[in-house]
Amino acid sequence: MKLIISRETLLKPLQIASSVVERRQTLPVLSNVLLKANNQHLTLIGTDLEVEIVTQIPLEESVEGEITLPARKFLDICRALPDNANLNIETDGEKAMIRSGRSRFSLATLPASEFPNIEPMTSPYEFSISQKVLKSLIDQTQFSMAQQDVRYYLNGLMLELSPNELCAVATDGHRLALCKAEADLQIDETRQFIVPRKGVTELVRLLEESDTPARIQVGENHIRVDLPDISFTSKLIDGKFPDYNQVIPANPTKIVSCDREALYQAFARASVLSNEKYRGMRLELSPNQLKATVHNPEQEEAEEELEVQYSGEEFEIGFNVSYFIDALAAIKADQVQVNFTDANQSCLIHGLGDDSCKYVIMPMRL
Amino acid sequence: MPRTRSILHVDMDAYYASVEVREQPGLRGRPVIVGGSPRQRGVVSAASYEARRFGVHSAMPMARAMRLCPQAVRLPVRMELYLRVSRQIHAVFKRYTPQIEPLSLDEAFLDVTDSVRLFGPAGRIARRIKQEIADELSLVASVGVAPNKFVAKIASDIDKPDGFVEVRADEVQAFLDPLPASRVWGVGKATNAELQRLGIRTIAQLRQQPRALLQDRFGKFGERLWELARGIDTRPVITDSEAKSISNETTFAVDISDTEILRAWLMDLTEQVARRLRAHQRYGRTVQLKLRFEDFHTISRSHTLAVATQTTRVIWEVAATLLQEALRKQNKAIRLLGVGVSGLVASPEAGGLQQDLFAGNNTAKQQVIDQLADQIQSRFGPAGIKRGTGCKHSPS
Repeated sequence: MKLIISRETLLKPLQIASSVVERRQTLPVLSNVLLKANNQHLTLIGTDLEVEIVTQIPLEESVEGEITLPARKFLDICRALPDNANLNIETDGEKAMIRSGRSRFSLATLPASEFPNIEPMTSPYEFSISQKVLKSLIDQTQFSMAQQDVRYYLNGLMLELSPNELCAVATDGHRLALCKAEADLQIDETRQFIVPRKGVTELVRLLEESDTPARIQVGENHIRVDLPDISFTSKLIDGKFPDYNQVIPANPTKIVSCDREALYQAFARASVLSNEKYRGMRLELSPNQLKATVHNPEQEEAEEELEVQYSGEEFEIGFNVSYFIDALAAIKADQVQVNFTDANQSCLIHGLGDDSCKYVIMPMRL
Repeated sequence: MPRTRSILHVDMDAYYASVEVREQPGLRGRPVIVGGSPRQRGVVSAASYEARRFGVHSAMPMARAMRLCPQAVRLPVRMELYLRVSRQIHAVFKRYTPQIEPLSLDEAFLDVTDSVRLFGPAGRIARRIKQEIADELSLVASVGVAPNKFVAKIASDIDKPDGFVEVRADEVQAFLDPLPASRVWGVGKATNAELQRLGIRTIAQLRQQPRALLQDRFGKFGERLWELARGIDTRPVITDSEAKSISNETTFAVDISDTEILRAWLMDLTEQVARRLRAHQRYGRTVQLKLRFEDFHTISRSHTLAVATQTTRVIWEVAATLLQEALRKQNKAIRLLGVGVSGLVASPEAGGLQQDLFAGNNTAKQQVIDQLADQIQSRFGPAGIKRGTGCKHSPS
């Protein structure tokens, strides 16, 4: 293999493909990135066996071939070269030579044949959706995913396809985030699949705030998202996501509405006096008033009062303050509606007059 | 030199069978076998000494037992009854010491070191306990008295049934020396074969081995063998309330590979562990699963929760997932199954209790369920109420 490429065109695709490469690896070849050159393209592939990212760069002159290089070192070299540098990459026996100006690097390689391939997808279901919409669905829900929960099916984001709608749901068992977007999906029946946590965080980094479509293929065990010059593949979690509709409060009776930013700021200030172990916040509601109190083990106390619209009876309820802050940060509307049933049941938060995104939080007993 | 302790090991003789005979005095003197039906591949849970004379022993397939002793009276297992009686036995123990470590329904260690000033020498306490169990409950216990758990356990066993053996500190070595090395705690089939190969048959011979040789052959366990052969055993008697972990395990009479049956056993074990947590007002964060396969390969798997719990359902979900994971990687039959909870604390979380979203998993609701189940069980025994998953393995 032999090719010449400018640092400028190589750097970003290389960064993207290397982003999935984990620092610690069980298989040596997994710390490498695969380079494939043909007359027209250089293809870069990084994988951790769960997520694979493929990027493509047009080439002007090259000698065909494929090889794997240590991802981190290759990227660091590329980064450290001057902006306008050109790289001359050439395999030389078991080494790869990189030359640029008066710099020379001889890197250890592993044969491309050792690089793991993700199995091809059989009869996938395909659809397209704008990158912007998909990004926003993920951004507004992903913070509620569980982390290393024994209920492994919660350690990811559930995507639900139905005829006119794409819906994303994440929950860690204490709170749940749900976001829907209109989408023209040629599908007869509802279909669910769970993308693992790592896949979700990698994917959202690749998506741009643009109307360019993302082409999505969903197979039995994998999801593939094709973007211009990038192809992302992730394994799916093999499990059944819990029935999320069941935990969305059906008939909340105590309805509070207020300015989102004001409520967010009040909770953010109060949370200063919470700590990692103890995130409890007491909410006291009385007509047109909300009071939030946070204590900590050092006996310090924060109290916030806020004018709200509320005409129900007085009551008290406890929450993990972070869960509320996360939800309020994700909502885009200026006004929010917070719906309670009683002190033992979950509350539902959504933008006023907008229920495309819903946030459900279970209370704490304080 | 630490002061000499006084440890009792109390072991009820042919417990289930004896309780049954006590309930139906007409059975006295006749061979009685308690266990599952031979037609449903039941196994012997307990056999009276009359039945044992025919070669019947526990864990034997019932069909075989009935062939060996066709005139035996076969009775189904009445666990709730044995549990109730076990509580009465513990009530006797508690008159003499709060330091009780239950091993099972019919077996316990008692540390009476501090009771001696009140009740007299350990031997006298042991005799009184044995006598009171006989007088008040019409049951026979074998008791071993010794300076530690290891020797006490052998002592209770050596003169069974109706045994009473006291081994004083200065008699320990003379007591142990003539015994076969297989008596030493932890020496099973495999270790014993290895010892035989080394020409070690008795504890005296084991004691004469250099420490380095035992360490070399048996690793860490070799160190333990070296100590036990000298009658050294410093393990304290641990009551549930001061335990750092609470666990229950069971060795199956027949190795099991049916996942549903394993899950049912797991549910029962989980329920027992969770009840003990609740009884001692403890919450645990780490759930452990222990599996021994048919080839004696033993693994343990654990998972740590975000919030400490004492809720059966929560422990069950973790344990069941760990079991599923472990079985996915191995398709050998299971010989022993155990579940435990560690990282015990007195309250779940400093700042309050986070409720869970998923229906049926609701913490408050689960607490009410657990409370009710505990109340029903304490009145009617473990069979009084069972969770759906737990019902499937019962032989009855």
